[in-house]
Amino acid sequence: MADRNTFRLMLLILGVIFAFLYIPISVLVGLSFNEGGLPTAWTGFSFKWYGALLENDDILKAAGNTLIVAIFSTLLSTALGSLLAIGVEIRRRNGKWLETLIFAPMIIPDIVLAIALLSFFSLIGVKMGLHTIIVSHVVFNLAFVCAVVRARLKNFDWSIVEASTDLGASTFTTLKRVIIPVLMPAIIAGALLAFTLSVDEFIIAFFTAGAGRASITLPMQIFSMIRFGVTPEINALATLVMAVSVIALALSQRLNKGGLPGQ
Amino acid sequence: MTQTFLSIQNVSKTFGSVQAVDRVSLDIHKNEFFALLGASGSGKTTLLRMLAGFEDLTAGDITLEGISIAGLSPNQRPLNLMFQSYALFPHMSVAQNIAYGLEMDRLPKAEVRERVNEILEVIQLGHLAKRKPDQLSGGQRQRVALARALVKRPKVLLLDEPLGALDKKLRSEMQLELKRLQHEFGITFIVVTHDQEEALVMADRIAIMKDGTLLQVGTPHEIYEAPQSKFAADFIGVMNFLPVHKNGTGFVGVDGSRIRSESATEIHETGAAIAAIRPERLHVTGTGDNQLSGEIVALAYHGLDLLLHIKTALSDNPVISRMTADEADGHAPEVGQNITVHWSAKDTHIFPN
Repeated sequence: MADRNTFRLMLLILGVIFAFLYIPISVLVGLSFNEGGLPTAWTGFSFKWYGALLENDDILKAAGNTLIVAIFSTLLSTALGSLLAIGVEIRRRNGKWLETLIFAPMIIPDIVLAIALLSFFSLIGVKMGLHTIIVSHVVFNLAFVCAVVRARLKNFDWSIVEASTDLGASTFTTLKRVIIPVLMPAIIAGALLAFTLSVDEFIIAFFTAGAGRASITLPMQIFSMIRFGVTPEINALATLVMAVSVIALALSQRLNKGGLPGQ
Repeated sequence: MTQTFLSIQNVSKTFGSVQAVDRVSLDIHKNEFFALLGASGSGKTTLLRMLAGFEDLTAGDITLEGISIAGLSPNQRPLNLMFQSYALFPHMSVAQNIAYGLEMDRLPKAEVRERVNEILEVIQLGHLAKRKPDQLSGGQRQRVALARALVKRPKVLLLDEPLGALDKKLRSEMQLELKRLQHEFGITFIVVTHDQEEALVMADRIAIMKDGTLLQVGTPHEIYEAPQSKFAADFIGVMNFLPVHKNGTGFVGVDGSRIRSESATEIHETGAAIAAIRPERLHVTGTGDNQLSGEIVALAYHGLDLLLHIKTALSDNPVISRMTADEADGHAPEVGQNITVHWSAKDTHIFPN
């Protein structure tokens, strides 16, 4: 019977951990639908705070900025990160230092990266704005996309690359017609991950946005609103951001596991 | 005098300190079915990859119809390789896989379609043209890989262990199928295999490789009946080996009995040598130049023949004698029985030990 008790204990611990992880999020989501808007009392179900978001120009502007940053940094980091992954895996023997250089942006604390990028942009005298946020997001997203695509390349059958060459294809044609299509699920998974990371990134965007409100992103907007207390609008906004992230991440994981029907 | 078709001239390949291929020279004829036979690590696959262009030559040259191809990259060579793993493109259908090489040649769409359909017919997979490789059986994948390489009508088709992944029954079917296709297309086939039976059945000529060098090149019959080295004798088929030593002009076994041979192999030193006899040359009936006696320690029944394992004073390992089904019907040997077998001097090969 000891086994059975152990199992029950494990279930209990699992329950406690899940409660710890998800109760705060559930509260936030719940309150975003609370008609009265006060965290102390439930007065009825309503979408009114979501409606209020749509009338708040600051929030809409910030959401637009976030979308621009996320889309462009995703496109850039996906293209560069995928090519980097392919290049690194083709020349696998090049040792550990390359590995470390590629992974560094994932490990370096965001605050350090943020300060470094700020100093760098100041040093070269670039006027800061959305474009500097995009470049900064590419820096860390590149590493994530590269990691996802490389994971897929670990069990990539390189003989199909030789087969393509043998059948008369140039290196570029092989890349276009064989390597990239076969890696596409991993590339899309990497892109979705990059998009998610970019959407809710705060510190680096905050440091590299420049002065003024012109290039404020959604997380920065939430941060500035929260200084006056948590409003029901913020709950609604956070719920939306979370929904986007969860959907993108779920898609990403699904794609990366399933692979192509042809594999 | 016909022009040499594919000529491998003094080709060597070293990987670091490893000599994978060591000064191999070989001429392969047009429309020949040629087999490179060897154990793993013998250098046969490296040689094939050098022909395809995936490995550089450390030394030597390869010419096709008198023109050197050694400096050409794989996509410029009029040779195609069928990969051991098949290397089918997983995201393309059977038809797309086969069409790929033709599209690379920039053939008109109509011609591509026509030639793909034609070869699908030949490999009898027309009904599966739209399937993806993972929806095919191993045998079907093998045929798609073959079709993909063959459809380009290369001057030489290289096949790396083409039947290695198939089960035994399918393998023997495909051996004949490959021979038929080679005949039908009139293309030179060079196949790499470690399976000696496969090489004997399919090839017009066989080259046995060992440690990066060519041991012997010849027709299957020459290789089987007149092996030039102990390794070749052992590698192809089953062979009985009896330690002997030279005594005057002849050879004697370890028990002092005379072993007569017409072998042309010259043994200069008076020391040890080895006599080799095929099991099917040891007869339980009639007489011969040589004979040996011993106790049957095991019987191995193979359907169309029966192998007798006979413990004799001539060697540590039992001597194997092959009886046909007809012979076995008359004699019905039993384990524990004493038996005498005879063989002819011309069937005794002698190799230096």
